[in-house]
Amino acid sequence: MSVDVALTAPAPAPAARSGHSVVFDRTARKSVRSGAVWGAIFGVVVASSAVSYTRIYTTQADRDALAKAFGSNHAAAALFGPAPQLQTVAGFTVFKSFMTVMILGALWGLLTSTRMLRGEEDAGRWELLLTGRTTQRRATVDALGALAAAAGALWLVVAVITVLVGRSSQVGFGAGPSLYFALAQAAAPAMFLAVGALTSQLAASRRQAATLAGWVLGASYILRMVADAGVGLHGLIWFTPLGWVEELQPLTDPHPAALVPIVAFTLVVSALAVHLAGRRDVGASTLPDRTHARPRLGLLFGNVGLSIRLVRPVVIAWVVALATTGVVLGLIAEQAGGTIAGSSVQEVFTRLGASGTGAEAFLGVSFLIVAVLASFMAAGQVTAARTEEAEGRLEPLVVAPVSRVAWLGGRVVVGVVVVALGGIVAGLCTWLGTETQNTGVGIGTLLEAGLNVVPPALCLLGLGMLALGVWPRGTSYVVYGILGWSLLIEIVGGVGSGRRWLLDTSLFHQMAAAPAVHPNWTVNAALLAIGAAGVLVGLAWFRRRDIQGV
Amino acid sequence: MPSDVAVRTEGLSKRYGSVDALADLDLEVRRGEVLGYLGPNGAGKTTTIRLLLATARPTRGRAEIFGLDCQRQSVEAHRHLTYVPGDANLWPTLTGAETLHLLGRVHGSVDEAYRDELVGRFELDVDKKVRAYSKGNRQKVLLIAALMCRPDLLVLDEPTSGLDPLMEQEFRRTVAEAKQRGQTVFLSSHILSEVEALCDRVAILRDGRLVELGSLDEMRHLSSLEVELTFAGAAPDLSTVPGVRSAQTDGRVARLEVSGSIDPLLKALEASEVTQLLSREPSLEELFLSLYGEAAPSEAASDVR
Repeated sequence: MSVDVALTAPAPAPAARSGHSVVFDRTARKSVRSGAVWGAIFGVVVASSAVSYTRIYTTQADRDALAKAFGSNHAAAALFGPAPQLQTVAGFTVFKSFMTVMILGALWGLLTSTRMLRGEEDAGRWELLLTGRTTQRRATVDALGALAAAAGALWLVVAVITVLVGRSSQVGFGAGPSLYFALAQAAAPAMFLAVGALTSQLAASRRQAATLAGWVLGASYILRMVADAGVGLHGLIWFTPLGWVEELQPLTDPHPAALVPIVAFTLVVSALAVHLAGRRDVGASTLPDRTHARPRLGLLFGNVGLSIRLVRPVVIAWVVALATTGVVLGLIAEQAGGTIAGSSVQEVFTRLGASGTGAEAFLGVSFLIVAVLASFMAAGQVTAARTEEAEGRLEPLVVAPVSRVAWLGGRVVVGVVVVALGGIVAGLCTWLGTETQNTGVGIGTLLEAGLNVVPPALCLLGLGMLALGVWPRGTSYVVYGILGWSLLIEIVGGVGSGRRWLLDTSLFHQMAAAPAVHPNWTVNAALLAIGAAGVLVGLAWFRRRDIQGV
Repeated sequence: MPSDVAVRTEGLSKRYGSVDALADLDLEVRRGEVLGYLGPNGAGKTTTIRLLLATARPTRGRAEIFGLDCQRQSVEAHRHLTYVPGDANLWPTLTGAETLHLLGRVHGSVDEAYRDELVGRFELDVDKKVRAYSKGNRQKVLLIAALMCRPDLLVLDEPTSGLDPLMEQEFRRTVAEAKQRGQTVFLSSHILSEVEALCDRVAILRDGRLVELGSLDEMRHLSSLEVELTFAGAAPDLSTVPGVRSAQTDGRVARLEVSGSIDPLLKALEASEVTQLLSREPSLEELFLSLYGEAAPSEAASDVR
């Protein structure tokens, strides 16, 4: 009888694919595609930098002038990394793209690994997987393996694009150096995937884990900045992960020995993450978690107060980031501006809309960083509102009763205030920085420049609210899509000779390069009007539609 | 003064793609009544509640709460009710006390003494952060928040999922108190003993349609009574007696299922010597199972919120 057979000779394990491969497959399925997409974005940034250089700096004299202006500029080095060979395509490409790619890659790494590890744990799916034939430790190893595959996918796509661009006779990167450059670009993502995996074991929630990893990245960037600032502390470069990546010096003066700390750091941090994963309970944190607190009722007077309370920690982090950026820009503006005046770099700056000279021209271009940060802040406000709805926390409020218009309207008002606050703080802090150097740029001019970054961010906020009303599940695709697109166009088109209509699709391209020029209040009003229209249509749809979960 | 009808729906329908999550629901819940709302997963219970609360828009039909249109006057309607969802999703960084304070402030009217009493009765540690609560404790926060406002209508969607049996007893007591105070309760639940103990009337949904509505007594009349008879001699053949749906005999014992009036059976027994008669009404669980036992297996399959 078949029953007897089954009893006496049990079939080999029904799950021939044991638990750990499920963890690997799930993690890989979600993260490899994302790695490949970011690899493509990095590839486009690299390719556009290389190609634009060959188009703009056509003569050796132009190139030498550029190298003279920026090659030994510590201010530029502090912001974007050293620029040793600006008279070559390779040197310029690295200077233009490497630091941006490094930071975006590190952010991708820490966000991806905290999402795939702690995020899955928060959602309860991790525990479900652990009931299979695996252990917490082995599952973490498998997830890390899948994340390594994602970093590998990122490297592969960047490598293919860089090799292809390098084959152009005008660009002329060899295949070997191109592959090495791609490896350098995958280094920060790999290290911060590991950092995210470690903080996922330390923290009590995904948000905490990402914040902790974010502080590591911030500290790493600041250390690197100090090391490159030409104040005699270059040795610090060996104490920061971003410094090791910089020391790889791809395309210019390859220094593969810097791979040693990168690989060692990645392995040690990963091993620590695996070790800690095996020592803690699922859902618990390694760091002590404050589960009890005395009630703080100050802001909990209603819907808007709750919104302020919920976004406060993130807003504080963004405002600190904007303030730091402002102070740093202010501190280096005088020196950076001095090297620009009269140099051929001014052509680039003019192309970017900064017709002034000196410190104001430098700040005019550099305020793009402030604008990008402010727009990220706005995008975060939109996705935070959507998350409240998706995770079912809107229902208790709407039924409480808060009208839907009051709820979303409240979130919009909070978003507008925090973005405006960010702009003002950035302007003020830049002024503080310039004051220490006697740069002579007025507080009014810099406050105006700070407020000038607000309209693009608010336009994005409005478009995001439109998406939230009309296509709630696509909200984050829309806001980060518009933001990514605008950034890409700005990076690709800023130096290159992009088509006008294409450039006009970038939010940042609409923005006047204050304080180098006066803000264009007409354009700013138009951006605000688009944002307001987005909010109104979004609200109208949001009032009428079903509340939608994940 | 609001209407004496707490909830009224007319042809209320919701379609998701090609699936009728709820079809032509006509329902009336009177003020002060406790209505049990039953059905298997995917029958349309939560969909009904979402339509009443205006968190979803009906494809057809309309609903009123105390005479206020659920969609067009949702905020006014919500002032008369509180709601406990089955999934307790709250703000993880707030403590229990902060959550209760917030929800009370938003609702506007809180019986603070009763809130404190409920916190004690449900043994809730209100200084703990929501993210550190178990599912049952998160559910308690929502239950207390709903009860402390003393609303005219309590809408409860599987409110005791995650509660231990002691706390479930406490929940039953609070609902009984609410009923005594004249509050209306719309209780969707899978726990049939809970519904049986608390509800004046029961509505049963199947596949998005209302299949039964009435008091338990009324429903029992529709169902069959189990009767066991022991005779002094051999049990007679009673299968032809009107109302007897099935009859099994085993020596001196006969087991019958009788639907409708029992009078024909009693008359038929006049000629026999009966030494023992046991009868039992069906429980709500049996009613429920007999209703769903008739359903095709596929009918309980589509799970639509």
